[in-house]
Amino acid sequence: MGGSAASKLRKLSFYLDPVLIAQLLLPTTILFLFLVAPLLLVAYVAGQYSIFDVLSDPTYFSLRPRGQPVLILRTSFRGREVTIIKVVGVSFGAVINSLINAVIVTAGATVLGVAVAFVFARYEFPGKTVLRILATMPLLLTPFINVFVIRKLFDWRDGIISWFVCDVLGLPLRLGVDSIAGVAVAQIMTFFPLVYLNVYSSMVNIDPSLEEQAENLGAKGFRLFRTVTLPLSLPGLAAGSALVFIFSLEDVAAPIVFNEKRFISYQVFSKFIEATTGQLSPVAAILALILLLLALTIFASIRRYVMLRQYAMLSRGGRWKPRMRKLSAKGLLAIYLVLAPLLVFLAFPQLGVIIYAFSERWTGPLPQGFTLKNLWSIVEDPLVSRAVINSLTYSLSALALIILLGISASYVIARARVPGVDLLDLLVTSPVAIPGLVIAVGYFYFFTTFFRGTPLDPIVSGPSLLLVLAYSVRRLPFTARAVFAGLQQVHIALEEASLNLGAGRLRTLVNIVIPLISLNLLSGALVSFVYCMSETSTSITLGGLGGVGESHQAPITFIMLDYLNRVGGPHIVASLGVLLISLQLLVITLVNVVFKQRYAYVGV
Amino acid sequence: MTRVSLRGVTKRFEDVVAVDRVSLEVREGELFTLLGPSGCGKTTTLRIIAGFELPDEGSVFFDNEDVTYKKPYERGCAMVFQNYALWPHMTVYENVAYGLKVRGLPAREIRKRVDEVLELVGLRGLEDRYPTQLSGGQQQRVALARALVVEPKVLLLDEPLSNLDAKLRLRMREEVKKLQKELGITTIYVTHDQEEAMSISDRVAVMNRGRVLQVGTPIEVYTKPANLFVATFIGRSALLRGKIVRADGRRVSILTRGGFKLEGTGLGVRSGDTEIVAVVRPEDFSLSPLPDANIIEGKVELVMFLGPYKQLRVNARGERIIAYVDPEEEVKAGEIIKLYIKPEDVKVYSAEGWEELEFE
Repeated sequence: MGGSAASKLRKLSFYLDPVLIAQLLLPTTILFLFLVAPLLLVAYVAGQYSIFDVLSDPTYFSLRPRGQPVLILRTSFRGREVTIIKVVGVSFGAVINSLINAVIVTAGATVLGVAVAFVFARYEFPGKTVLRILATMPLLLTPFINVFVIRKLFDWRDGIISWFVCDVLGLPLRLGVDSIAGVAVAQIMTFFPLVYLNVYSSMVNIDPSLEEQAENLGAKGFRLFRTVTLPLSLPGLAAGSALVFIFSLEDVAAPIVFNEKRFISYQVFSKFIEATTGQLSPVAAILALILLLLALTIFASIRRYVMLRQYAMLSRGGRWKPRMRKLSAKGLLAIYLVLAPLLVFLAFPQLGVIIYAFSERWTGPLPQGFTLKNLWSIVEDPLVSRAVINSLTYSLSALALIILLGISASYVIARARVPGVDLLDLLVTSPVAIPGLVIAVGYFYFFTTFFRGTPLDPIVSGPSLLLVLAYSVRRLPFTARAVFAGLQQVHIALEEASLNLGAGRLRTLVNIVIPLISLNLLSGALVSFVYCMSETSTSITLGGLGGVGESHQAPITFIMLDYLNRVGGPHIVASLGVLLISLQLLVITLVNVVFKQRYAYVGV
Repeated sequence: MTRVSLRGVTKRFEDVVAVDRVSLEVREGELFTLLGPSGCGKTTTLRIIAGFELPDEGSVFFDNEDVTYKKPYERGCAMVFQNYALWPHMTVYENVAYGLKVRGLPAREIRKRVDEVLELVGLRGLEDRYPTQLSGGQQQRVALARALVVEPKVLLLDEPLSNLDAKLRLRMREEVKKLQKELGITTIYVTHDQEEAMSISDRVAVMNRGRVLQVGTPIEVYTKPANLFVATFIGRSALLRGKIVRADGRRVSILTRGGFKLEGTGLGVRSGDTEIVAVVRPEDFSLSPLPDANIIEGKVELVMFLGPYKQLRVNARGERIIAYVDPEEEVKAGEIIKLYIKPEDVKVYSAEGWEELEFE
């Protein structure tokens, strides 16, 4: 090989022209500045304090459980002798609670998700399409308000379940799930489709001959499922479960709505309430670091595991038809009597949001009165309409940056023959696994430390710019992945033909590459946009730094949280939820039906 | 018109040496073909000339200018890709006009030149079609027009006809040759099809395993293959293994394994070689006696009438020989016949590398 440094440089510059260098440097610089540096700063601040101060505080860490998991009370309620059974869970302090909760939620979501995926992947029955839609409904993001509906389901006083059991069936029982247990139930209901979708796509990709072979050797029923089907679906299972685990850890909506402070995410969030003064408790940094390390550990191990377990299917050329069986009468009965009601129940929070938005009152177990005034208040209420405009502004600005970064990074990753591209790939995809709360904490330190007193200081100028950057970084993976997938389908000769005819890199990019990947780009950008609009973690933390007044800078989700505890507020929050649902449905339709691309269901 | 020279060009991909110390001179205005089996390095060589790959060693010159480190868009060559690489989002007109737009020509000039080149390749009237609405042959012409319209210094063709059906391939072959002669553009043509190479080229470079084994006119390469690989790759020859009995300059006497004593011409024999291979082209066998000719006797196993000639499969003491003879000859399977071969048509090569040859 040409040994000297000069000749190596000359060789490198042959493959890297100025446009490629810009495409490499731009995303790398932005991601280092606005992702890596803030995270490092979190670690640095956390390192200034002893982690044992946190671990020795029973608020965060305790080995002795506090409270009773189930409260049973025999009492008179509304003139009737009833037994109240309330599941609340026990507490080991915020850190342990978050971990135990994540484990329970992952287990619950996995069992539900695998069961639903198996039925859909292997059986054919009338009404399946409707049930499949129901099963994905919990993924429609309606921050806070869906958990609010879940709480309403499980409230022992005015909850729908209690009402049904006690007032409709007439049993002397009032059932409730609340506190820590409530958070777990809400998260299982919200996150199980992540497992379902991942396992489902694994299962329909299993070569049917593998199962047939096992059956041929005598395995059937649960044994077949346990020994062949499930192990072959492990990559999907691992990916789905890992996502649930990470989302459960970082989810702040369920703890807030259940007013359950004993979770890491709630603790980090609550520190922000005092942050408008320009000070953030160092405990926030320590807790954020714990959150980050937990999430990254899961992400890293699952990345390795999923890659190790990429079972190569021996395909015989064309795509196979997945094994589909007709169900016996008994099976059909089980579907309609067990699965269908279960899926309706799991989708109920989203349905409830819609009901809430169109009802006048919903204080008792059942909603009352139909009205459009809640929807109207999105326009009429100046705080709300301003939040909508803010969110649109931030999301569109973020989108511009996302498109620029996404195209640049993916192009370099897909095409440039230079070392270090893998690192950029990791940087671009990792925000999927990085809790938004950690980014919020990092941004707070980063901008109040290095930009104190400048227009970039959120205490001085409000959070607008921080939110745009946070949205850009967090939602970049959707667009970057879509562009990357598009580039893999564009034959490199199409670009070479352009270069060969005398067009430079930039011209080739604009005239050839971008038009050829436009559908992928558009789809990815739409998904990024939708998840910017519904972004929660940084919105409710950083979003409040400008205060809430006439000309506030807060986005939709911040106002949703703010209105949740106002009188009549939930109806307006639900209307915003309906707005977000409509937006998501529109984008899903555009992406799947019009652009014929795959919609990536990962958000929060 | 431009002269292209490669000097000691080497390109490795990981441990594989794709191009191994290749030096070539392509003369102004000639149609030069890189011929070889797949994986021989011919396409990589072409991509180095186009500027898509950087050689690890050696340089590329256009006339006297070293272009080794020049970017593809700075070289002024134009390439026709194996899969045509037509842009699916552009019409025929837009595809062809692209190179001129990039060069910043005025719209009227572009219009004129695109019209001319489309006329030249016979695609007038299809300007507004998209590539997917064209047949394979039409796509091929668009690709050719797109390359020709920019009046490149060097035209590069990477297996341009391999995706066409047999009949169309023959027609396009003639058209490419005709166009190239009319326009006089220095052209480098890559193919694995020896017949295509023979028929179209001014000169041919036969490549194998990254190396150029012989450069010459098609007639030279066909009649005087420089080594065993070239001799076997081109044409469909009888291969007789044996030993040298006596060597006298280029004239050698050999004894084949089947026991035939033959007089031949040593083309790739070094002194000291004992193991040799004698190569005889099928059309060099004759059924009528020739003066001073070698004689091989054998049994006809199969007779096939192929139009211009009859193909005989002959078993001569275990050696399998394919011979083309006059279609008028009365030969039947099972007959014992004598085949006559002139000594100059028995080409003798060292058997070194025999094991590496691939046979059909």
